[in-house]
Amino acid sequence: MVTALAVAMAVAAGATVSAAPRKDAKGQLADLQPAIAAMADADPEVAAHAVEALGASDLPAAHDALLDGLAFGMPGVVAVVAIAQLTKHPAPPDVTAIIRYAHHRDPSVRAAALTSLAAYPAPEAQQAMIAGLHDPAGLVRAGAAGAVARAHVRAAIEPLFQLLAKGEDPAATALAQMADPELAARIADHLGQVPDAQLAECLGGVLLRSDFGPDPARVEVVRALIKIQDRAAVDALGAYVDKTPANPPRPSRAEANRYLTERTPK
Amino acid sequence: MTRRWLPTLALLALAACGPGAVFALTSSNDNDPRALADALAKRRLPEAPSPLNASHQPRAYVVESGTGSAGRQLVSFDLAAGKVIWRVPADVQSRVEVGGDFVVALEGKKLVARDQNTGAIRWSASAPGPFLGAAADAERAYVAWRDGARYELVGYDGHSGSQLWTAPADGILGAPAAQGGVVYAPFQNQWLTLIDGATGASLARVRGLDEVISTLRVTTTAAYFGSPKGMFVLDARAATGHRASATYGTVKVPPQLEHALYGPDSYDPIQLAYTAADRAHVLWQAVPTATPGPMKLAGDGYAIHYFRYVLGFDVDGNLRWAYTQPRVELVSTAHTGYVIAGISTTGDVVALEPQTGAVRARESLGGGPGEHVLGATFDADGWSPSSQDEPIETIAALVAIARDHDARFDRVKELAVQALAKLPGPQVTTELLAVLGDARAPLKLKDTVGELLVARRDPASLPVLVAQLAVHDDFLTGSEPQALAQVAKAIGGLGGTHLDGTQVAAALAALQSHLDAATTPVPDLVVVIGAMAALGNGAEHPALWSHLLLYHADDAIGGDAAWDRAIVRALDEHGDAGERELLRQVAADKRTAPSLAAAIHDAIGA
Repeated sequence: MVTALAVAMAVAAGATVSAAPRKDAKGQLADLQPAIAAMADADPEVAAHAVEALGASDLPAAHDALLDGLAFGMPGVVAVVAIAQLTKHPAPPDVTAIIRYAHHRDPSVRAAALTSLAAYPAPEAQQAMIAGLHDPAGLVRAGAAGAVARAHVRAAIEPLFQLLAKGEDPAATALAQMADPELAARIADHLGQVPDAQLAECLGGVLLRSDFGPDPARVEVVRALIKIQDRAAVDALGAYVDKTPANPPRPSRAEANRYLTERTPK
Repeated sequence: MTRRWLPTLALLALAACGPGAVFALTSSNDNDPRALADALAKRRLPEAPSPLNASHQPRAYVVESGTGSAGRQLVSFDLAAGKVIWRVPADVQSRVEVGGDFVVALEGKKLVARDQNTGAIRWSASAPGPFLGAAADAERAYVAWRDGARYELVGYDGHSGSQLWTAPADGILGAPAAQGGVVYAPFQNQWLTLIDGATGASLARVRGLDEVISTLRVTTTAAYFGSPKGMFVLDARAATGHRASATYGTVKVPPQLEHALYGPDSYDPIQLAYTAADRAHVLWQAVPTATPGPMKLAGDGYAIHYFRYVLGFDVDGNLRWAYTQPRVELVSTAHTGYVIAGISTTGDVVALEPQTGAVRARESLGGGPGEHVLGATFDADGWSPSSQDEPIETIAALVAIARDHDARFDRVKELAVQALAKLPGPQVTTELLAVLGDARAPLKLKDTVGELLVARRDPASLPVLVAQLAVHDDFLTGSEPQALAQVAKAIGGLGGTHLDGTQVAAALAALQSHLDAATTPVPDLVVVIGAMAALGNGAEHPALWSHLLLYHADDAIGGDAAWDRAIVRALDEHGDAGERELLRQVAADKRTAPSLAAAIHDAIGA
């Protein structure tokens, strides 16, 4: 692992440090030098542009420069951009650098770091994303929830259920994205244990996923939604009916439609 | 007229010969050593401490208040057998005084004597005016009254209630005490007059030359007098009237227990009955000394009863032990010579070993739920029970005091935590940390505990302190760090002591977890950084560097002067040339907060 101290000392000595292999590093550095210098500009806007320029480069040296810049530290607004640029060419050394910013005092920096970590399958990245679900800042929890959903971190399911019980919308969305038929059934079993609105939002999100199925599983989700008293359940079923073509016919859509028709005043 | 009245009449005649001489305002016969020695020799005292009652069994006479239509009750409780002897309705308005085969107290507006065996009224006497206090010995009762502008002390036969003598006074009389046939009568805050209980004749008079005489304490074998400043033994040396040449003693009452006195104020009409003053007083026993000198305390110590608590001290004022009465206050306590006996508002009796605080007996009056003990008089000199063998739980008692949520005792809590902090070991640290984690604990107490944790410097407590750092902000569990700054400061205070390397590594890791935590307040960060530097001996530098670099360009934290100084000092202290160069690079970085750059320049030069 490249420690921040080692990186920083190397940066101070005018070199770059990276665990990644590189080609023709001298030439690459020369091309990138203006952007690297601008990355340390006192004006965050200038620095952010420089970071974007480095992120747009396919050169490994540009990636290394971003890592070096993050290791030496930068204002939060610039760090958010730099972390996002790293994920354009994800490499294993990124994880340590990004996790460091996942604990940053600025919630927007933490949220950005956790969002980026979804691009990395490393166990420590997943642990950091799960830890983000416990963060006191809602913005950060939302970022972590989105990240674990994208990365399909199964170990995050329990804390997501806990967040759902606290009425957190991002948890509902995340669970919906992660649900297979088995998880959908578990979500449905939480009726009464979590707020109705969030449960409906979650199950509605499951229904809207084109990759969720087969249809008998969708039927179960529709039936679970029918049991929910909150208006959000009706809205979720309505959205499902509206966004699903009538043909080919789907039993799940038919059941949802039947329910909506029956409860409409004549 | 029957023959049996003749002695009474003779005594009355004798008393009438010179009542004015008893409480004269002249001082010609004050502090006469010979007269005092003779008066003291006249007392009929037991060879060893013993209850005064005729059966010589330890007893407590307890005044209870009832509920609804039930008025007050007087209870005779056998301490040796742990059972109620009798319980009778009695509108007791004063302390209960114990005689040989009777007890006497003001009931309503009358002085009422009751049979000790049955509680039945034996006789009563109407009050000529306001009651000023009573006393009793084996044969007689003595009462100070105010009759218009005059004061008088009256002797009554304990068996019949017949008035034996009257000694009028032109000045204020305090509540008397009696011992073995001699009455001690405080007069004008200045004198203690010793009177023959049989005749009412003055035997001797002590005049306080250094301080007032406002407090009396009498056991079956010893007598004391004094003031809130200290107490004299009533012995032959008391005739000097001076502290230096008398058998005089004081105890160190901690400022947190400032309300504790040596005994009731004899002149305070409120304290003629059982009051809150009985719940805050010093408990001591003097031992005879072979040579003249200050009062010597039995066991070289004393105790202070303070509401729910009894605290034992050595003569230097160091806390030896502590006892906490569960749930309710102790309303009355007494030193029997062998134990400290106490009774609670709920009628629970406890006996404590004076040297250690060990519980030697627990008993109960078994009163109903509506009954409430107002006060009690112990006639239990020499009582030495051993029915109970509970372990001494001083730490638990101190913890109970410290965590008592009763705001009246905030200062006592400080005393408790100070005493706790003097005890070594991780258990005490755990308890002190619990005070910090108690949301209802007073802030001032928490501040004190924080300071004490630092001052303890107890290496054995490092694992406990580190364990405290395991708690972080967690939205899902609702947890948040408890007393991070105090704990970090306490850990930092261990720098320089001999510590286990593994424990130091664990401590640094725990501190770093808070250094890296997003929600650690900046003032706490400053303390955490200091603690890491104090403990790490350089091992903390990578974590501190990471922290510095992460925030050197962050105005929110990099611009905090205290943080700037702390992080720069920590890195400069054990830093090598390379690290100092890196500090210069940070200072030169255009993005670095100006105050941080200035701090670096201050530390390592331009």
